[in-house]
Formats: sequence, structure tokens, C-alpha cells
Amino acid sequence: MPVLEAHDVTKTFSEGREHVPVLKGISLGLARGEIVALEGPSGSGKTTLLSILGAILTPSAGRVVIDGHEIVATRATDLAAIRRQAIGFVFQQFNLFPALTALENVEYALNIKGINHGTARQEAERSLAAVGLADRMHFLPRDLSGGQKQRVAVARALAGQPPILLADEPTANLDSSVGLQILATFRDLAKRDARALLIVTHDPKVRAIADRALRIRDGLLQDGE
Amino acid sequence: MVDLALKTLLHDKLRFAITAAGVAFAVLLVFVQVGLFLGLLDNASVTIRHTAADLWVTSRNTPNVDFAHVFPESRVDRVRSIPGVARADNLIAWFFTYQLPSGAQEGSIVYALKDFDTWSLPWRVEEGRLEDLRRGPYIFLDASAVKRMGQFRVGDYRELNGRRVQIIGRTRDALSFTTTPITFMDYDLAQSIQSQSLQGQTTYMLVKLAAGADLETVRAEIRRRLPYNDVYTRDEWASRSRNYWIVSTGLGLNMGLTVFLGCLVGVVVVAQTLYTSTMEHLKEFGTVKAIGGSNRDIYAILAKQASVAALVGFVLGGLGALVLGPVMASVDLKLIVPPVLGVAVFVGTFALCLGAAMISFRKVAAIDPALVFRT
Repeated sequence: MPVLEAHDVTKTFSEGREHVPVLKGISLGLARGEIVALEGPSGSGKTTLLSILGAILTPSAGRVVIDGHEIVATRATDLAAIRRQAIGFVFQQFNLFPALTALENVEYALNIKGINHGTARQEAERSLAAVGLADRMHFLPRDLSGGQKQRVAVARALAGQPPILLADEPTANLDSSVGLQILATFRDLAKRDARALLIVTHDPKVRAIADRALRIRDGLLQDGE
Repeated sequence: MVDLALKTLLHDKLRFAITAAGVAFAVLLVFVQVGLFLGLLDNASVTIRHTAADLWVTSRNTPNVDFAHVFPESRVDRVRSIPGVARADNLIAWFFTYQLPSGAQEGSIVYALKDFDTWSLPWRVEEGRLEDLRRGPYIFLDASAVKRMGQFRVGDYRELNGRRVQIIGRTRDALSFTTTPITFMDYDLAQSIQSQSLQGQTTYMLVKLAAGADLETVRAEIRRRLPYNDVYTRDEWASRSRNYWIVSTGLGLNMGLTVFLGCLVGVVVVAQTLYTSTMEHLKEFGTVKAIGGSNRDIYAILAKQASVAALVGFVLGGLGALVLGPVMASVDLKLIVPPVLGVAVFVGTFALCLGAAMISFRKVAAIDPALVFRT
């Protein structure tokens, strides 16, 4: 059974009097342990789809089902609760908190999920060790390379054991070799823990680690195989 | 739990320093302004509060202790015969003029009694014996007179309303609101020097109750016997004297305005820096939301930052006031900061900083978590 499903999802934005349809009926499913690449030109609706699948936005129509539970919430607090429990994000810009060390960045994400004190610290240390940053735990982001920052971001996304990982252009700000390392880390950890991983990307290297690729154009999904 | 609020606040030390300095400035301004005002007001009633009288009898509508009007001194006999009155004496408080050795003139408020000890006036004698005042043309001068009359020593002579008098004692802490120097002399001497105004006259009557006497009963009887005089308890008279300066001179309004402006400065500085910080950290707040944080989590961050700024600013401002106190005392300015003022400023500082943070709350509430996807 898919851990993440979208059924005829549409999204229309209102800009003044104009209504702009961005997604025009998207249906997809991700199984546990599956890695899917989502490709498409700029403006095709990739980020909007990612936002809806990640319970950041709600669809104008259609259904999203996470781990067997349909998202019917529309209140911001309810959507936040879903994100806490089920979604891990990795962003293109890393989006680490500059005032927190690598360890604290991961630990804070666990605190948000309701895990505190020693348990959070231990799990954060494990997550960072899993991405190969055991010796950089107490560094601030400004003292980390781009690849190291993205590893911290991956560790943060994995913390709390969410079943679904959503990554938005995770290699866009990394050089080629570092990007490959990050993708390899992603793949290994996703497969190891049987998490569904959806990667929005322009990077052809992502296809090499993905189980399948989807293309989105003009708000509609095409199979990219 | 990771303290994102505190770590973010201290990460940009310069901005935090500016915020704390703004709060400290506002706190210091309020403490100094109100403290100085309370110090001045304290001077307005210090002689009343230290005088061992239960009741003060004044001429009708006397506005404060410095601006007395005369009435016949013989009325004291009517008061002495009232049951419950242990003692009643006339007190003259009147403006005299010194001719200084430099040729300049300086006013002074003279307190004249026949028996100073009974009434605990003056309450702090540094040099001399009060009983010697009755023996001739002698005066006690308060140390604060140095500021307006120049240095003096016990044994010096001065010209007072054209009469030569000798300084035989020095007091301390006897002050007036206007900083006019205070002089103590014998009652008969005051009348003889200023005979035109004071012969057969007095400005106040001091009344001490007998043990067990009911104050209101005695007061009612005094009023009945002296229908053209006012009768106040010590506290009432002290309050009336203080209120005169607050209301009649506009000083209360001035102080209120300055306090308000000081608070406004503090609020604006905190609001400005917190809002700027919020705008700069908008993406971080978006990240908090994206990883599952709620608006409440972000409000808590902002509230804690505002609270830390309030606490640090209050401590710095309070320390500044503590340092300034002795400095001001050295130039005979009293800074009075009662505990209730400290508590009020503490509570007010937090309230204003949290209020300033609320301007950022609105911005934060509207953050679109999808912001985190934008480059």
C-alpha cells in the first residue's frame, strides 16, 4: 500500500481577479522504500505539488492520503501536526538555523516533534553519525561546507523517523561530486529505513538513484521513464 | 530543549546590544526622572515629616509649608486648653533675606521655635547645641546652604534682614523643594528681626496629642475654636505640600510626559529591532513552520527574545540609576527609587517589550511555509 498518495489533485491560485490553475489533476503514489524523481521545467508546478504532498498547502480539489490517512485538515495547526508526524523536508537552500550547531539543528527538529532532553540529543547524534558528520556536530553552519550543510539537513529530515521524505532540488547548490555523495546518502538511508523519498530535481544524476521518474508539465503528470 | 530564541538573539550580538541599550535607556530615564521628582517632592515635605507634631494648624488655604500666611499667635492658648492636647507651640516658617559677604542677596526659609527639642527640629544636627539659640542672635544653618550661599563655618557672621547674626550650628538634610536654604533660629529673635510682619503673629501651630487622645475629636475641637484656620494631620499636610508642586507648577505633567516619551523610545527601539530581526529571519521562521512548528512556537520565540531584552535592559538601566544616585547626591540632588517604583518599572518594561514584539507577531502569523522553497 502506498505511504503517500495523491488523487486528482488540483490547485488554483487567485491573483486579483485572475485564477491561475497550477495543478490540473495529479495522481501518484509512493511506496515505502521507493525513490521517485519529479522533473519538470520551471513553472510546471513541481514546488506546488511538493507543498501539497508535504501538507504545507491544501489542494483546491482532490485528495492526499498519508500513511492511509486522508488529509482533510485545512487549519494551519492541523497541517503542522501532520508535517511533524509524517514528513521530513530537505530544501535547496539547506535552511539551517545559523545560530544553532549541526547537532542543535537536528535536535531542534526533534523538539518540535515533541521529543526532548536526552532522547532528542541521542537521536540527533545518531542521525548525524548516519550521514557521516559525527566529527562536525558542534560546528555552526557557517563553518560547514555546502555538502556538510546538506548532510545536516538530511539528518534533520530523517530525525523523528518520518515515513516520507520530500526533497526540493537537494543538489542544486552543490558541486557534482558532493551532489553524488548526498544522493548516495539519501538512497542508502531511505532504503535502509523503508522511507518513501520524492526528489524534485533538474539534476540528471538523481535518475541514477531513483526507482522511477515522473515528469510534470503544465500542471499535469507524465511518466518520465 | 534547544533554545532557538536565545541562541538566535545572542547570535547577532550587536543587534542584541542595541536592543538592550534602547530598553536600558528607557528604564534609566524613567528611574532618573521619577526618582528626581520623588526626591524633590521629598524635600517639599521633609520638615513636616520629621517634625514631631500630630496636627498642624495653618492659616486658611495655606498651599504648602513654604508659603505660609500669618495669624495671631495668641490663638495657641485656645488650643492648649483643649482636652487631649499634650502640647501646642507656635512655629514661624518665613522667608528672610541674607546679605552675603560677596554683596549678593540670598533668600532663606527660617524655622523659628522656642523649643526645638520637643518638636525634633532640626532632626540632624552636625555641630552646635540647639539650646544656645535662645541665648542671643544666633542661627543654625543647613549644610545644603553652601550651594547658594557659599562656604560657611560655625562661628561665622552673616547679615539677615539687616541684622547681624552668628552661625552657631550646622544641620543636615533640612531642604526645601525650591532648594532655598533653611535656617533655624529662636522664635523671639525671628519676630524681632521681622517685626513688621511677625510681631504678635505666627504661621503655624504644632500640636502634640496626649496619650490615648482621639485625633479626630481633638481636631474637631480645634476647628470649632479656630474657625479661620485649617487643621491637618502630619501626613495630610505633607501630602498637601507635595501636591501643590505637582499640580500648581505643572511639574507632575512634565514628569508624566517625560516618562511617557522615555517609554515610547524604549518601545520603538525594541519594536524596530525585533521587527527588523523578524524580517531577516523570516525564512527561518518559515522553516520552523515547514518542519512542523506552529505559530505558537514562533510567538514563543519572539516573546522570549523580547523578555530577554527587557530583563537585560532593566538590569542595565537599574544599575545605571544605582550609579547615578551617589553622583546626584554629590550635587545635592536626591534620587529616590522606592521598591514600588522598581516593581512598576520592571513590570512595565516587560509589558512594553512584549507589546513591541506583538508587531512582529502579525508578520509571523502571515508567513507562508512555502517560503522555504523560494531561493
